Amino acid sequence: MRQKINTKYLISLLVSIFLAFLVGAVILLGTGHSPLTAYGAMVEGAFSSLRHVGDVLEYAMVLAICGLACDLGSRVGIFNVGGEGQLLIGAIVAAQIGVSLNGTTAWLVIPLAALGAIVSAGLYAMIPGVLKVKLKVNEVITTIMLNTVAASLCQFMAKGPWKSANKTMVSATENLNVRYWFDGLIPGSNLSTAIFAAAIIAFLVWYIMQKTTQGFEMKLTGQNPRFARFSGMRIDRKIIVCMVISGAMCGLVGMFRVYGSEHLFKPSVSNDYYFEGLMVAMIARYQPLATILLSLFFAVLKVGAEGLQQVGVPNQIYLIIQTVVIFFMAAQSGFLECLSVRLQKRKAAGADAHSGSAPREKGGEKV
Amino acid sequence: MSEFEKIMSSIFSYGTLQQMLRSATPVALAAIGGSMTEHAGIMNIGMDGMILMGAFFGVLGSFLFHTALAGVGMAIVMGVLVGLFFALLVVRYKSDEFIIGCALNTFAIGLTSYLSRSYFGTSGTKGNPALPMLRLAFLDKIPVLRIFNNQSLFVYLTWIIVIAAWIFVYKTPYGFWLRASGEKPDTLRTAGISPKRMKWIASILCGVLCALAGAHLSLGQLSGTFAENMSNSRGFIAFACVIFAAANPAKAYIAALMFGFFEAIGLRLQGYVSSDLTNTIPYIITIVMMVWVVVRKQAKKRAAKQET
Repeated sequence: MRQKINTKYLISLLVSIFLAFLVGAVILLGTGHSPLTAYGAMVEGAFSSLRHVGDVLEYAMVLAICGLACDLGSRVGIFNVGGEGQLLIGAIVAAQIGVSLNGTTAWLVIPLAALGAIVSAGLYAMIPGVLKVKLKVNEVITTIMLNTVAASLCQFMAKGPWKSANKTMVSATENLNVRYWFDGLIPGSNLSTAIFAAAIIAFLVWYIMQKTTQGFEMKLTGQNPRFARFSGMRIDRKIIVCMVISGAMCGLVGMFRVYGSEHLFKPSVSNDYYFEGLMVAMIARYQPLATILLSLFFAVLKVGAEGLQQVGVPNQIYLIIQTVVIFFMAAQSGFLECLSVRLQKRKAAGADAHSGSAPREKGGEKV
Repeated sequence: MSEFEKIMSSIFSYGTLQQMLRSATPVALAAIGGSMTEHAGIMNIGMDGMILMGAFFGVLGSFLFHTALAGVGMAIVMGVLVGLFFALLVVRYKSDEFIIGCALNTFAIGLTSYLSRSYFGTSGTKGNPALPMLRLAFLDKIPVLRIFNNQSLFVYLTWIIVIAAWIFVYKTPYGFWLRASGEKPDTLRTAGISPKRMKWIASILCGVLCALAGAHLSLGQLSGTFAENMSNSRGFIAFACVIFAAANPAKAYIAALMFGFFEAIGLRLQGYVSSDLTNTIPYIITIVMMVWVVVRKQAKKRAAKQET
């Protein structure tokens, strides 16, 4: 899957997105909605006001950092599917640090909260990393299991020991002191100064992965672990470190969500946001720059989908379109291969008719 | 009676065992389906989405045709379609099964929530025609067999499916080819049987069994209810069962029973421990199980090496 980004990729991406919108249109028509009105409402939902643009940027930030966290893992050959849990853990730890240190200066609280989020989420990501490296336990399954464990644990903490005194909130921590909130950039929107921190993180990840020897060694570890091992790299350590950083990034996203827009911890701090970021990373073929750009695109879709409700269309059509893009992107190389095999067969059959002895080594097996 | 005894007696009560059977059944059905794909060498993490689709289309069929049987039929048809779709992408077009599985899960959430809002106007529905339960008065009087009373028909159907699946995998030529298609596809090809065809069959079987699991969840266990994302990671638990059981359908059923047991305990102990905490037990056990499986395999390998 780790193919280069080139013109062919761009074309297939555009075609996939176009086809996905077509599939979406068919579903919309089938359920009695006009696709044109719906897509129009989507565009309007994303760009009609500055507030929405702010929301788009905030969501793009979440997607991009989550997607980059996934990129980082996949570069060394480990799939971090557990970002959702790491995000929640980071969020609740950061929130609770802010609540328990209430009264101290923001200069102390915010760095401590960030550190707490990084350490807790990083350690949480270390479990599957170590299990994968030391025991070859499939990390996809362990991270998925740990997601649910983290969600339940956070729910438990937010309902029990760290519950807010506010009776109307069933499971949430205390509200953060206004002094610790990240400044909003656009009034009314979720966008906060966290986006600058996110931009720095994104740049660092891109730079390390694409421009440094470390990044090259990571690539080698992922693509050819045997070779990397024989050339003297400590690939075990590399994989664990990448997993921990990946988890720490997810934890930071949780902290950004809490300090930037939610101002307290509740389970809806993340609604499977990591999984959406993961899918963006998949579509971007785990390339950092493409991940960031596609995050923007899918953030437009997601925020735009909120506008759909005003014309009476359920906004989940957004999830359908996004996943259909993945289906097309994932299938296209195999599809093209099948097509070319068929073409070659036809050509060979034509040549057969002429010479009677054309080689037919490429005949695809019958399914 | 001391507090401890009270807790113990509530854990090992008929109610718990009854609940265990009830919650184990959907997981077991999906796990049997997952065993098929696992044998065919496909890592199927899309089972959660398959269950969710089965759950939704089961309720939709029951809603549209006013009978639960139509719901089950519709779920099965959708299961076949999803299985075909999965095989088309993974087997035919050789896409990464992990990506397709992940996307399938999200796709299922999107599609079922969208359609639920379109058909029912809300995010869920309840009170649709449900599957009948087995209610036999005399069973209640027999001590142990009591737990089998008041269960959805699917609970018993699952037993038949477990046995049938076990015979299919281990005692028929098809099962032999199925296992070979995952382990030694080239050998199978030499024998003149297409491994790809076996993979297609496995995907379709998995789709159908997961759809049945979903239909049981919505039409049997929750008597005609659909709620958004109601599969609730059961597909992943089923996947864990598959791994734990090394894709043996009978062992997968036992693993599913164990998961059902812990879920049931969580419900019983709500007064003592938060159910949020007991809910984590099956997931932690899965991880421990996987570590255990690996460690044991390594120990065996080491022992074999020492012998030679």
